[in-house]
Amino acid sequence: MTVIDILTRVDTICKKYDKYDVDKQRESNISGDDAFARLYGAFETQIETALEKAEIVTKEKNRASAVAMNAEIRRTKARLSEEVPKLQRLALKRVKGLTTEELAARNDLVLALPARIEAIPDGTAGGPKSTTSAWAPSTTSRPDIKFDSDGRFDDDYFQESHESSQFKQEFEMRKIKQDQGLDMISEGLDALKNMASDMNEELDRQVPLMDEIDSKVDRATSDLKNTNVRLKDTVNQLRSSRNFCIDIVLLCIVLGIAAYLYNVLK
Amino acid sequence: MSSDPEKMMSKADKMTKLTLTRWSADWRGATELYEQAANGFRASSKYEKAKVALEKASKGQEMQSSPWDAAKHMESAAALAQKLSIWNEVADFYRKASELYVECGRAQPASDALGKAARALEEVKPEDAIQLYTDACEILEEDGRDQMAFDLYRACASVYIKLEKFADAATFFLRLGVAADKCDATNSQCKAYLSAIIVYLYGHDLKQAEKCYNDCSQIDAFLKSDQNRTASRLLTAYNEGDIEEIKKVACSSTVNNLDHAIIKLARKLPTGDVTAVQMNAGDDLDEDDLT
Repeated sequence: MTVIDILTRVDTICKKYDKYDVDKQRESNISGDDAFARLYGAFETQIETALEKAEIVTKEKNRASAVAMNAEIRRTKARLSEEVPKLQRLALKRVKGLTTEELAARNDLVLALPARIEAIPDGTAGGPKSTTSAWAPSTTSRPDIKFDSDGRFDDDYFQESHESSQFKQEFEMRKIKQDQGLDMISEGLDALKNMASDMNEELDRQVPLMDEIDSKVDRATSDLKNTNVRLKDTVNQLRSSRNFCIDIVLLCIVLGIAAYLYNVLK
Repeated sequence: MSSDPEKMMSKADKMTKLTLTRWSADWRGATELYEQAANGFRASSKYEKAKVALEKASKGQEMQSSPWDAAKHMESAAALAQKLSIWNEVADFYRKASELYVECGRAQPASDALGKAARALEEVKPEDAIQLYTDACEILEEDGRDQMAFDLYRACASVYIKLEKFADAATFFLRLGVAADKCDATNSQCKAYLSAIIVYLYGHDLKQAEKCYNDCSQIDAFLKSDQNRTASRLLTAYNEGDIEEIKKVACSSTVNNLDHAIIKLARKLPTGDVTAVQMNAGDDLDEDDLT
């Protein structure tokens, strides 16, 4: 048998046993004319998917996806709540082939719907929700995070307690002391800055003087060097000649004459 | 050589006088004798005679074309004159010395000499002192050594303050500012401008002070300085007539870095009636005045 043959056979078998398919029967029962039934069916499916999602959320480990799913559930709930009045209107309409008991039953069903919608858990359901108060304390998901005030921002809330005013005083005093200290530091720094710039200027003043000293001393050293060289030459000249020996001999002769005269005159 | 200074003096005098026997004066010998005589007189505390001897020695050196030694002798003579409190001679001698130094081409000692003269005459003849200071500053400025002139400017301004001629004092501070500008000495420049403003304020001249402040604000270096802020605070305090603020600014550290004389002036601010200033400020800000 070819695939096509198998397919056609399966199709015929399905068609034969269709009348035992509950869901399909239900769907076929809901005829195109009955808008209420259609809408109600849609509602039912949506509520069921929401409930399934809520199931998954409770088992969900990842907080982000849990939050996202909760948000989706809430959106669905809001949408359904909006459409409930429409359904109610449809419920009151008389449709062909509908008994009065069924009509009453429909009405009851519609009335029960809001309660069912609200009952879908979406992560924020907690204690009794009153429609008048804007804030209800949310204690289910994270009991340890609390808003202590409970929403009562009255006079007592802003009243300074003893500790807070003391703290404030201490804070002010410390701040004042810090300011004083900083003032003293700034004064010292000012003095330092002034001294430093004066020193800077003084040094600038002395730079050309140093340059002059430098050149003068250079000149003096070169003069000295020249003089030294000349002196050396002269002394060498003196020493190398015989004048030295002649000087000594003459000196001895003079001393000898002086001694002789001394002896004679004594 | 006799050790008696008197004898030396007379001998030297004889050597310098031209007579029939002597056709040219022996300046070298005479100068030596004069110097020795002066030392002798100084040792025996005969300052008058020492002074005379030094004068003559200086003349001798001049004749020998050594202006440096001549100037040195002149300075010593002037110092002795100062000791003897003969003020006009002090001024003259120092001036002569300064001229001789200029002849040598040495501006610094020249202005130093004039500075010494001015300091000596500060108490006694302040106008002369001022003149001497001014001349000293000019000598230095001609030579391009402005930085040495700062002290002289400051001393001159303080003399003016003592004479209570505040406008002149402020002018001198501004001249200091110009000299400082030439040498890029910004700290001194800003301090000079702040001092000028304070002097104007002390002289009850708020308008001048403000004008001065506006002029100085054109200068970059001043605009960026601490002194600028202090000056603006002071002027706003004056304009609002806030005496407390004026006193606070006057005691601030920026003012404490200025000259001693200026600090004294600043502490005495506000002079005169600040309330009049306040009224003036009110008149200026009259919004209903449509003129």
